[in-house]
Amino acid sequence: MREIGRLVLVLGLICSLSAAALSYVRTSLADRIEQQSDFYVRGPALERLFARPADELLGNKITFALGEQDYPVFFTREGGEVTGLAVEAPGHGGYSGDIVMMIGIDLRSGRGLGVEIVSHGETPGVGARVEQPSFRKQWRGLPLDAPAALRGDGGGIDAVSGATYSSRAMIDGTNQVLDLVREHKTDILARIEGDVPATGENGA
Amino acid sequence: MTFRQALTHGFWKDLPPFRLVLGLCPSLAVTSTAENGLGMGLAVTFVLIFSNMFISMLRKVIPDKVRIASYIVLIATLVVLVELVMKAFFFPLSQQLGIYIPLIVVNCIILGRAEAFASRNPVPISMADGLSIGLGFTMSLALVGSLREILGAGTWFGMSVFGESFEPFGFMVKAPGAFLCLGILLGLMNAWSRKRGEIFIQT
Repeated sequence: MREIGRLVLVLGLICSLSAAALSYVRTSLADRIEQQSDFYVRGPALERLFARPADELLGNKITFALGEQDYPVFFTREGGEVTGLAVEAPGHGGYSGDIVMMIGIDLRSGRGLGVEIVSHGETPGVGARVEQPSFRKQWRGLPLDAPAALRGDGGGIDAVSGATYSSRAMIDGTNQVLDLVREHKTDILARIEGDVPATGENGA
Repeated sequence: MTFRQALTHGFWKDLPPFRLVLGLCPSLAVTSTAENGLGMGLAVTFVLIFSNMFISMLRKVIPDKVRIASYIVLIATLVVLVELVMKAFFFPLSQQLGIYIPLIVVNCIILGRAEAFASRNPVPISMADGLSIGLGFTMSLALVGSLREILGAGTWFGMSVFGESFEPFGFMVKAPGAFLCLGILLGLMNAWSRKRGEIFIQT
Protein backbone atom coordinates (compact mmCIF):
# COMPACT_ATOMS: atom_id res chain seq x y z
CA MET A 1 0.00 0.00 0.00
CA ARG A 2 2.81 2.38 0.95
CA GLU A 3 4.46 1.82 -2.39
CA ILE A 4 1.31 2.62 -4.33
CA GLY A 5 0.92 5.79 -2.30
CA ARG A 6 4.40 6.88 -3.29
CA LEU A 7 3.79 6.13 -6.97
CA VAL A 8 0.59 8.16 -6.96
CA LEU A 9 2.21 11.00 -5.04
CA VAL A 10 5.26 11.34 -7.29
CA LEU A 11 3.36 11.07 -10.56
CA GLY A 12 0.64 13.40 -9.26
CA LEU A 13 3.19 16.00 -8.20
CA ILE A 14 5.00 15.88 -11.53
CA CYS A 15 1.72 16.24 -13.41
CA SER A 16 0.44 19.15 -11.34
CA LEU A 17 3.72 21.05 -11.53
CA SER A 18 3.76 20.54 -15.30
CA ALA A 19 0.21 21.74 -15.61
CA ALA A 20 0.94 24.82 -13.50
CA ALA A 21 4.03 25.71 -15.53
CA LEU A 22 2.21 25.28 -18.82
CA SER A 23 -0.85 27.29 -17.88
CA TYR A 24 1.39 30.10 -16.67
CA VAL A 25 3.32 30.21 -19.95
CA ARG A 26 0.16 29.84 -21.97
CA THR A 27 -1.59 32.79 -20.36
CA SER A 28 1.49 35.01 -20.49
CA LEU A 29 2.09 34.30 -24.19
CA ALA A 30 -1.57 34.25 -25.28
CA ASP A 31 -1.66 37.89 -26.45
CA ARG A 32 1.53 37.56 -28.44
CA ILE A 33 0.37 34.36 -30.12
CA GLU A 34 -2.92 36.03 -30.99
CA GLN A 35 -1.05 38.98 -32.56
CA GLN A 36 1.17 36.65 -34.53
CA SER A 37 -1.71 34.67 -35.91
CA ASP A 38 -3.50 37.92 -36.83
CA PHE A 39 -0.42 38.97 -38.75
CA TYR A 40 0.43 35.69 -40.44
CA VAL A 41 -2.90 33.87 -40.76
CA ARG A 42 -5.98 36.06 -40.32
CA GLY A 43 -4.55 39.04 -42.20
CA PRO A 44 -3.68 37.11 -45.38
CA ALA A 45 -6.94 35.13 -45.11
CA LEU A 46 -8.98 38.36 -44.97
CA GLU A 47 -6.99 39.79 -47.87
CA ARG A 48 -7.91 36.78 -50.00
CA LEU A 49 -11.56 36.89 -48.99
CA PHE A 50 -12.18 40.61 -49.46
CA ALA A 51 -9.34 41.59 -51.84
CA ARG A 52 -8.42 44.53 -49.61
CA PRO A 53 -5.19 45.19 -47.66
CA ALA A 54 -5.05 43.40 -44.30
CA ASP A 55 -4.26 46.53 -42.26
CA GLU A 56 -7.61 47.91 -43.23
CA LEU A 57 -9.49 44.77 -42.27
CA LEU A 58 -7.88 43.44 -39.08
CA GLY A 59 -9.11 46.41 -37.05
CA ASN A 60 -12.68 45.86 -38.25
CA LYS A 61 -13.40 43.25 -35.65
CA ILE A 62 -16.11 42.57 -33.13
CA THR A 63 -16.67 39.52 -31.00
CA PHE A 64 -20.16 38.14 -31.07
CA ALA A 65 -21.05 35.70 -28.32
CA LEU A 66 -23.74 33.13 -28.86
CA GLY A 67 -24.37 30.56 -26.17
CA GLU A 68 -21.01 29.34 -24.95
CA GLN A 69 -19.13 30.28 -28.07
CA ASP A 70 -17.38 33.58 -28.93
CA TYR A 71 -17.32 34.27 -32.65
CA PRO A 72 -14.80 36.81 -33.93
CA VAL A 73 -16.48 38.72 -36.77
CA PHE A 74 -14.52 40.81 -39.26
CA PHE A 75 -16.29 43.14 -41.69
CA THR A 76 -15.65 45.30 -44.71
CA ARG A 77 -17.43 48.47 -45.79
CA GLU A 78 -18.14 50.09 -49.09
CA GLY A 79 -19.48 53.65 -49.06
CA GLY A 80 -20.27 53.49 -45.36
CA GLU A 81 -22.33 50.35 -45.71
CA VAL A 82 -21.20 47.01 -44.34
CA THR A 83 -20.95 44.76 -47.39
CA GLY A 84 -19.06 41.71 -46.23
CA LEU A 85 -18.57 39.65 -43.11
CA ALA A 86 -15.92 37.09 -42.24
CA VAL A 87 -16.85 34.94 -39.27
CA GLU A 88 -14.40 32.67 -37.52
CA ALA A 89 -15.75 29.43 -36.10
CA PRO A 90 -14.37 26.17 -34.73
CA GLY A 91 -15.54 23.17 -36.76
CA HIS A 92 -16.10 20.38 -34.28
CA GLY A 93 -15.44 16.75 -35.05
CA GLY A 94 -12.07 17.00 -36.76
CA TYR A 95 -9.75 14.02 -36.61
CA SER A 96 -7.67 15.73 -33.94
CA GLY A 97 -9.50 18.66 -32.44
CA ASP A 98 -11.39 21.55 -33.96
CA ILE A 99 -10.64 22.96 -37.39
CA VAL A 100 -10.80 26.73 -36.95
CA MET A 101 -12.01 28.38 -40.13
CA MET A 102 -12.99 31.79 -41.36
CA ILE A 103 -15.95 32.08 -43.70
CA GLY A 104 -16.48 35.13 -45.85
CA ILE A 105 -20.02 36.21 -46.70
CA ASP A 106 -21.06 38.80 -49.24
CA LEU A 107 -24.06 40.52 -47.65
CA ARG A 108 -25.28 42.06 -50.90
CA SER A 109 -25.69 38.78 -52.75
CA GLY A 110 -26.22 36.64 -49.63
CA ARG A 111 -23.63 34.15 -50.78
CA GLY A 112 -20.31 32.79 -49.54
CA LEU A 113 -17.07 34.47 -50.59
CA GLY A 114 -14.93 31.52 -49.62
CA VAL A 115 -13.45 29.72 -46.65
CA GLU A 116 -9.99 30.05 -45.12
CA ILE A 117 -8.44 27.73 -42.55
CA VAL A 118 -7.06 29.46 -39.46
CA SER A 119 -5.71 26.44 -37.61
CA HIS A 120 -6.10 22.68 -37.60
CA GLY A 121 -4.37 19.53 -36.38
CA GLU A 122 -5.40 17.17 -39.17
CA THR A 123 -3.09 14.48 -40.53
CA PRO A 124 -0.73 15.80 -43.22
CA GLY A 125 -1.64 14.40 -46.62
CA VAL A 126 -5.06 13.15 -45.47
CA GLY A 127 -7.30 15.49 -43.44
CA ALA A 128 -4.97 18.43 -44.00
CA ARG A 129 -6.10 18.39 -47.63
CA VAL A 130 -9.16 20.42 -46.55
CA GLU A 131 -6.72 23.33 -46.91
CA GLN A 132 -6.39 22.76 -50.64
CA PRO A 133 -8.02 25.34 -52.92
CA SER A 134 -9.72 22.59 -54.94
CA PHE A 135 -11.75 21.65 -51.86
CA ARG A 136 -12.21 25.15 -50.48
CA LYS A 137 -13.41 26.66 -53.75
CA GLN A 138 -16.75 24.93 -53.13
CA TRP A 139 -17.48 27.64 -50.57
CA ARG A 140 -17.45 30.37 -53.19
CA GLY A 141 -21.06 31.23 -53.96
CA LEU A 142 -22.41 29.00 -51.20
CA PRO A 143 -26.03 30.03 -50.55
CA LEU A 144 -26.67 31.57 -47.15
CA ASP A 145 -30.27 30.45 -46.81
CA ALA A 146 -29.71 26.67 -46.85
CA PRO A 147 -27.59 24.61 -44.47
CA ALA A 148 -24.40 23.20 -46.01
CA ALA A 149 -23.94 19.42 -46.24
CA LEU A 150 -21.66 16.89 -47.89
CA ARG A 151 -22.88 15.22 -51.06
CA GLY A 152 -23.05 11.89 -49.23
CA ASP A 153 -25.39 13.49 -46.69
CA GLY A 154 -27.64 14.97 -49.35
CA GLY A 155 -25.85 18.28 -49.79
CA GLY A 156 -23.77 19.80 -52.51
CA ILE A 157 -20.21 19.71 -51.19
CA ASP A 158 -17.79 16.99 -52.25
CA ALA A 159 -15.82 15.64 -49.29
CA VAL A 160 -12.05 15.21 -49.44
CA SER A 161 -11.74 11.52 -50.23
CA GLY A 162 -10.47 9.53 -47.28
CA ALA A 163 -11.07 12.44 -44.92
CA THR A 164 -14.75 12.35 -44.05
CA TYR A 165 -14.18 13.46 -40.44
CA SER A 166 -12.21 16.52 -41.50
CA SER A 167 -14.76 17.35 -44.20
CA ARG A 168 -17.64 17.00 -41.73
CA ALA A 169 -15.82 19.31 -39.31
CA MET A 170 -15.63 21.89 -42.10
CA ILE A 171 -19.38 21.54 -42.65
CA ASP A 172 -20.01 21.86 -38.91
CA GLY A 173 -18.10 25.14 -38.70
CA THR A 174 -19.78 26.39 -41.85
CA ASN A 175 -23.24 25.74 -40.50
CA GLN A 176 -22.42 27.51 -37.24
CA VAL A 177 -21.49 30.57 -39.29
CA LEU A 178 -24.46 30.31 -41.66
CA ASP A 179 -26.88 29.96 -38.73
CA LEU A 180 -25.26 32.86 -36.93
CA VAL A 181 -25.44 35.19 -39.91
CA ARG A 182 -28.92 34.06 -40.92
CA GLU A 183 -30.47 34.47 -37.49
CA HIS A 184 -28.47 37.30 -35.98
CA LYS A 185 -27.56 39.45 -38.96
CA THR A 186 -29.36 42.55 -37.62
CA ASP A 187 -27.74 42.13 -34.20
CA ILE A 188 -24.30 41.78 -35.75
CA LEU A 189 -24.82 44.85 -37.95
CA ALA A 190 -26.10 46.82 -34.98
CA ARG A 191 -22.99 45.87 -33.01
CA ILE A 192 -20.77 46.97 -35.90
CA GLU A 193 -22.60 50.27 -36.33
CA GLY A 194 -22.17 51.44 -32.80
CA ASP A 195 -22.78 51.27 -29.15
CA VAL A 196 -25.93 49.22 -29.32
CA PRO A 197 -25.68 46.71 -26.46
CA ALA A 198 -25.35 43.28 -27.94
CA THR A 199 -28.15 40.83 -27.75
CA GLY A 200 -27.21 37.25 -27.28
CA GLU A 201 -24.07 38.24 -25.42
CA ASN A 202 -23.66 36.65 -22.05
CA GLY A 203 -22.17 39.31 -19.87
CA ALA A 204 -18.79 39.60 -21.58
CA MET B 1 31.75 8.01 -19.91
CA THR B 2 33.74 11.13 -19.05
CA PHE B 3 32.32 14.63 -19.26
CA ARG B 4 34.40 15.32 -22.34
CA GLN B 5 33.10 12.22 -24.07
CA ALA B 6 29.54 13.11 -23.12
CA LEU B 7 30.00 16.51 -24.73
CA THR B 8 31.33 15.17 -28.04
CA HIS B 9 29.92 11.68 -28.62
CA GLY B 10 26.83 13.06 -30.40
CA PHE B 11 28.91 14.50 -33.22
CA TRP B 12 30.21 11.24 -34.62
CA LYS B 13 30.34 8.25 -32.28
CA ASP B 14 26.60 8.29 -31.54
CA LEU B 15 25.53 10.70 -34.27
CA PRO B 16 21.73 10.68 -34.48
CA PRO B 17 19.84 9.67 -36.50
CA PHE B 18 22.48 7.84 -38.57
CA ARG B 19 24.32 5.90 -35.91
CA LEU B 20 21.63 5.60 -33.28
CA VAL B 21 19.06 4.84 -35.99
CA LEU B 22 16.48 6.54 -33.75
CA GLY B 23 14.40 9.59 -34.60
CA LEU B 24 14.09 8.64 -38.25
CA CYS B 25 10.52 9.89 -38.57
CA PRO B 26 11.28 13.63 -38.19
CA SER B 27 14.48 13.14 -40.16
CA LEU B 28 12.37 12.07 -43.11
CA ALA B 29 9.33 14.26 -42.59
CA VAL B 30 10.58 17.78 -41.90
CA THR B 31 13.80 17.95 -43.89
CA SER B 32 12.32 19.29 -47.12
CA THR B 33 14.28 22.52 -46.57
CA ALA B 34 17.44 23.32 -44.63
CA GLU B 35 15.59 25.84 -42.49
CA ASN B 36 12.96 23.33 -41.40
CA GLY B 37 15.64 20.77 -40.55
CA LEU B 38 17.57 23.31 -38.51
CA GLY B 39 14.45 24.53 -36.68
CA MET B 40 13.34 21.01 -35.86
CA GLY B 41 16.85 20.09 -34.69
CA LEU B 42 17.07 23.10 -32.39
CA ALA B 43 13.62 22.38 -30.93
CA VAL B 44 14.70 18.80 -30.20
CA THR B 45 18.00 20.03 -28.72
CA PHE B 46 16.17 22.31 -26.31
CA VAL B 47 13.81 19.55 -25.22
CA LEU B 48 16.66 17.07 -24.90
CA ILE B 49 18.87 19.27 -22.70
CA PHE B 50 16.08 20.08 -20.29
CA SER B 51 14.44 16.66 -20.27
CA ASN B 52 17.85 15.18 -19.41
CA MET B 53 18.27 17.82 -16.70
CA PHE B 54 14.91 17.23 -15.03
CA ILE B 55 15.08 13.46 -15.32
CA SER B 56 18.58 13.41 -13.89
CA MET B 57 17.50 15.70 -11.04
CA LEU B 58 14.54 13.48 -10.23
CA ARG B 59 16.23 10.14 -10.86
CA LYS B 60 16.28 9.23 -7.15
CA VAL B 61 12.73 10.46 -6.54
CA ILE B 62 10.90 8.80 -9.42
CA PRO B 63 9.95 5.21 -8.54
CA ASP B 64 10.99 2.63 -11.11
CA LYS B 65 7.42 1.51 -11.82
CA VAL B 66 6.18 4.89 -13.01
CA ARG B 67 9.41 6.12 -14.58
CA ILE B 68 8.28 5.96 -18.20
CA ALA B 69 5.03 7.78 -17.39
CA SER B 70 6.97 10.43 -15.48
CA TYR B 71 9.48 10.87 -18.31
CA ILE B 72 6.70 11.26 -20.85
CA VAL B 73 4.96 13.92 -18.74
CA LEU B 74 8.21 15.86 -18.36
CA ILE B 75 9.06 15.58 -22.06
CA ALA B 76 5.52 16.50 -23.13
CA THR B 77 5.61 19.58 -20.90
CA LEU B 78 8.84 20.76 -22.50
CA VAL B 79 7.49 20.09 -25.97
CA VAL B 80 4.33 22.12 -25.37
CA LEU B 81 6.56 24.87 -23.99
CA VAL B 82 8.61 24.84 -27.20
CA GLU B 83 5.42 24.85 -29.24
CA LEU B 84 4.04 27.91 -27.43
CA VAL B 85 7.32 29.83 -27.59
CA MET B 86 7.69 29.02 -31.27
CA LYS B 87 4.14 30.20 -31.97
CA ALA B 88 4.81 33.44 -30.10
CA PHE B 89 8.19 34.27 -31.65
CA PHE B 90 8.76 32.15 -34.78
CA PHE B 91 5.24 31.79 -36.11
CA PRO B 92 6.06 30.94 -39.77
CA LEU B 93 8.43 28.17 -38.67
CA SER B 94 5.81 26.74 -36.33
CA GLN B 95 3.36 26.65 -39.25
CA GLN B 96 5.89 24.89 -41.45
CA LEU B 97 6.70 22.24 -38.85
CA GLY B 98 3.03 21.95 -37.86
CA ILE B 99 2.12 18.58 -36.41
CA TYR B 100 5.77 17.46 -36.13
CA ILE B 101 6.43 19.76 -33.17
CA PRO B 102 3.92 17.99 -30.88
CA LEU B 103 5.31 14.71 -32.20
CA ILE B 104 8.71 15.47 -30.61
CA VAL B 105 7.11 13.91 -27.51
CA VAL B 106 7.38 10.49 -29.09
CA ASN B 107 10.81 11.08 -30.62
CA CYS B 108 12.72 7.95 -29.58
CA ILE B 109 15.99 9.83 -29.17
CA ILE B 110 14.64 11.82 -26.23
CA LEU B 111 13.10 8.89 -24.38
CA GLY B 112 16.17 6.84 -25.30
CA ARG B 113 18.58 9.33 -23.73
CA ALA B 114 16.33 9.64 -20.67
CA GLU B 115 16.27 5.90 -20.14
CA ALA B 116 19.85 5.08 -21.14
CA PHE B 117 21.71 8.08 -19.78
CA ALA B 118 19.93 10.73 -17.73
CA SER B 119 18.29 8.29 -15.33
CA ARG B 120 21.72 6.94 -14.33
CA ASN B 121 23.98 10.00 -14.36
CA PRO B 122 24.33 13.28 -12.47
CA VAL B 123 22.86 16.53 -13.77
CA PRO B 124 25.81 18.31 -15.48
CA ILE B 125 26.94 15.32 -17.53
CA SER B 126 23.33 14.54 -18.50
CA MET B 127 22.88 18.07 -19.80
CA ALA B 128 26.15 17.79 -21.72
CA ASP B 129 24.88 14.56 -23.23
CA GLY B 130 21.61 16.24 -24.22
CA LEU B 131 23.46 19.15 -25.81
CA SER B 132 25.78 16.90 -27.75
CA ILE B 133 23.14 14.48 -29.03
CA GLY B 134 20.81 17.43 -29.80
CA LEU B 135 23.42 19.35 -31.78
CA GLY B 136 24.40 16.17 -33.62
CA PHE B 137 20.75 15.69 -34.56
CA THR B 138 20.50 19.33 -35.64
CA MET B 139 23.57 18.99 -37.88
CA SER B 140 22.23 15.81 -39.46
CA LEU B 141 18.81 17.31 -40.10
CA ALA B 142 20.32 20.50 -41.51
CA LEU B 143 22.55 18.38 -43.76
CA VAL B 144 19.70 16.24 -45.08
CA GLY B 145 17.54 19.38 -45.44
CA SER B 146 20.32 21.22 -47.30
CA LEU B 147 20.90 18.38 -49.75
CA ARG B 148 17.21 18.00 -50.44
CA GLU B 149 16.62 21.73 -50.78
CA ILE B 150 19.63 22.33 -53.03
CA LEU B 151 18.82 19.42 -55.35
CA GLY B 152 15.05 19.62 -55.12
CA ALA B 153 14.46 23.36 -55.22
CA GLY B 154 17.82 24.83 -56.26
CA THR B 155 17.98 27.00 -53.13
CA TRP B 156 19.76 26.90 -49.76
CA PHE B 157 18.04 28.55 -46.78
CA GLY B 158 15.86 30.22 -49.41
CA MET B 159 18.79 31.68 -51.36
CA SER B 160 19.17 30.71 -54.99
CA VAL B 161 22.23 28.49 -55.57
CA PHE B 162 22.35 27.59 -59.24
CA GLY B 163 20.49 30.51 -60.79
CA GLU B 164 17.60 30.48 -63.21
CA SER B 165 18.78 27.85 -65.68
CA PHE B 166 18.81 25.02 -63.10
CA GLU B 167 15.99 22.53 -63.43
CA PRO B 168 15.39 21.17 -59.88
CA PHE B 169 14.73 17.48 -59.17
CA GLY B 170 11.31 18.13 -57.70
CA PHE B 171 11.02 14.68 -56.19
CA MET B 172 13.90 15.36 -53.77
CA VAL B 173 11.69 17.62 -51.65
CA LYS B 174 8.93 15.01 -51.63
CA ALA B 175 8.83 11.89 -49.43
CA PRO B 176 10.78 9.54 -51.79
CA GLY B 177 13.63 12.05 -51.93
CA ALA B 178 13.87 11.90 -48.13
CA PHE B 179 14.30 8.13 -48.15
CA LEU B 180 16.81 8.30 -50.97
CA CYS B 181 18.86 11.03 -49.33
CA LEU B 182 18.87 9.41 -45.89
CA GLY B 183 19.71 6.00 -47.36
CA ILE B 184 22.63 7.27 -49.40
CA LEU B 185 24.04 9.23 -46.46
CA LEU B 186 23.68 6.18 -44.20
CA GLY B 187 25.45 4.02 -46.77
CA LEU B 188 28.30 6.49 -47.22
CA MET B 189 28.81 6.83 -43.47
CA ASN B 190 28.70 3.08 -43.07
CA ALA B 191 31.35 2.60 -45.77
CA TRP B 192 33.55 5.28 -44.20
CA SER B 193 33.27 3.66 -40.74
CA ARG B 194 34.06 0.24 -42.13
CA LYS B 195 37.15 1.57 -43.80
CA ARG B 196 38.30 2.91 -40.46
CA GLY B 197 37.43 -0.36 -38.75
CA GLU B 198 34.68 1.05 -36.52
CA ILE B 199 31.40 -0.58 -35.69
CA PHE B 200 28.81 1.60 -37.39
CA ILE B 201 25.44 1.10 -35.75
CA GLN B 202 25.67 1.71 -32.01
CA THR B 203 23.59 -0.53 -29.83
